[in-house]
Amino acid sequence: MPETEASDAAWSTAADIAAAVAAGRTTAESVVAATFARIRARDPLLNAFTAVTEERASARARALDQARARRETLPPLAGVPFAVKNLFDIAGLATLAGAKINRDAPPANADATVIQRLEAAGAILVGALNMGEYAYDFTGENIHDGPSHNPHDLKRMTGGSSGGSAAAVAGGLVPLALGSDTNGSIRVPSSLSGLFGLKPTFGRISRAGMFPFVASLDHAGPFARTARDLALTYDAMSGYDPDDPVCANLPAEPVTPLLDRGVTGLRIAVAGGYFKARTAEVLYAVDQVAAALGANRDIEIPEAERARAAAFVITMSEGGSLHLPRLRTRARDFDPAVRDRLIAGAMVPGALVTKAQKFRGWYRTEVLKLFAEVDAIVAPATPCTAPLIGQQMFTFGEAELPVRANLGIYTQPISFIGLPVVAVPVPLEPLPIGVQIIAAPWREDIALRIAHALEMKGVVAARRPPM
Amino acid sequence: MKRRSKTVRKARSPARSAPSAKHGGKPDALDALVTAAAQALALPIDPAWHGSIKFNLQLALAMAARIDEFSLPDDAEPAPVFHA
Repeated sequence: MPETEASDAAWSTAADIAAAVAAGRTTAESVVAATFARIRARDPLLNAFTAVTEERASARARALDQARARRETLPPLAGVPFAVKNLFDIAGLATLAGAKINRDAPPANADATVIQRLEAAGAILVGALNMGEYAYDFTGENIHDGPSHNPHDLKRMTGGSSGGSAAAVAGGLVPLALGSDTNGSIRVPSSLSGLFGLKPTFGRISRAGMFPFVASLDHAGPFARTARDLALTYDAMSGYDPDDPVCANLPAEPVTPLLDRGVTGLRIAVAGGYFKARTAEVLYAVDQVAAALGANRDIEIPEAERARAAAFVITMSEGGSLHLPRLRTRARDFDPAVRDRLIAGAMVPGALVTKAQKFRGWYRTEVLKLFAEVDAIVAPATPCTAPLIGQQMFTFGEAELPVRANLGIYTQPISFIGLPVVAVPVPLEPLPIGVQIIAAPWREDIALRIAHALEMKGVVAARRPPM
Repeated sequence: MKRRSKTVRKARSPARSAPSAKHGGKPDALDALVTAAAQALALPIDPAWHGSIKFNLQLALAMAARIDEFSLPDDAEPAPVFHA
């Protein structure tokens, strides 16, 4: 394939690939072969992948092409390559969750539910992606596997913990990737790497086969370069899963057919107070999105700072509890930065964690009242654009704050109560930054419609990086 | 500076020898909590980690204080609800 054609194919959307495969303009095998060629060529720069599943992917691609040759109707994502954060079970591979310790785990018996569903929709798994150790990370750095690199500037972090997922999609290796989001681990890398990312409602998408971090707060969700691709992926994964006790027993509610409804009639406000931007890029990005949506009122999310504190405490405590057996026997195999937080988390008095959960109940009630007045809330996704890999501090208004602990200051109060959020990329130069479109529980349709409308207006876009 | 007592002191156990993160000063209550909690959790910790663990615990307690000060009624339910 000529280089220009190959490089264009790198940036094809999932929707376009599926359409091309269905129409016979290309084959699933050639899409997959080109994907692995790109991974071999570019992943040494991005460090997005920790494993590739070439044999499996090629077999699935052949099967799809044979189905097409038999004139069978292909499923909606037929031939679309995707990759997953390495905390999702992939049959035959140890589920790393970004950890050295997990390299010794036996291989997974079966794929995670979300992988099974995407493959049932015809998408083809091509590999597992780098992540922050045990997901306790906002940077995308990993002491064992190395940092993932931001395609917009390879010296900069992707954001985390779904760092490899962001690098793979933003870097044109795959059009779709899956990540997880506990306090911001889809939205932060989406923001820093210039992508669309969806953290769905808590309990919407199955977590079965996903290595946990914080049972109270974990979500699975997709990354893509368009809102439509995000919706297609979400639709393919949705639906009740009895294998996940947290998964809500609700029917799937397809969103893709609703995307073009636009935003007319939607009541949209901008989060003020705690969420008020303190850096020029963040302010500009939020203002651009708000203006495009006609969102001319502010809304105060009550006690957001306290919500962030409560999410912090619950995260440390549940994370510490989860890893206690490993901390007892293999503490030296952890990233020290992760280890010491988890150990401290195991030491937080239970009475305070219970209070944090009670506060969470109060906070949910109060925030849900806001959705009687609005359909969506606009808020920043990160307090800054992508820091340099290894950078310790960043400027936040008049203060200097530690990067690691504070990249999630805007995301944590939202995931704390499981609201659905689409992070939309504002294509600033030289570095993009994201904005959160926050909807009421179970209203992913509204958040995705807004994201799509912004994209159609040209206000948000997953800009192609210079690499 | 406090004068050293002339009294012969009992040898300190390793658990009580944990350093304070504060400029090598006397261990404080948080140092004691880290040491005691590690014992209670049967969690061996390298003395070299003590300062970092203490720092993180201090941060968590500061965050928890923000929630602790928030008044909630006795009948406030924790967010996760269990169904038998």
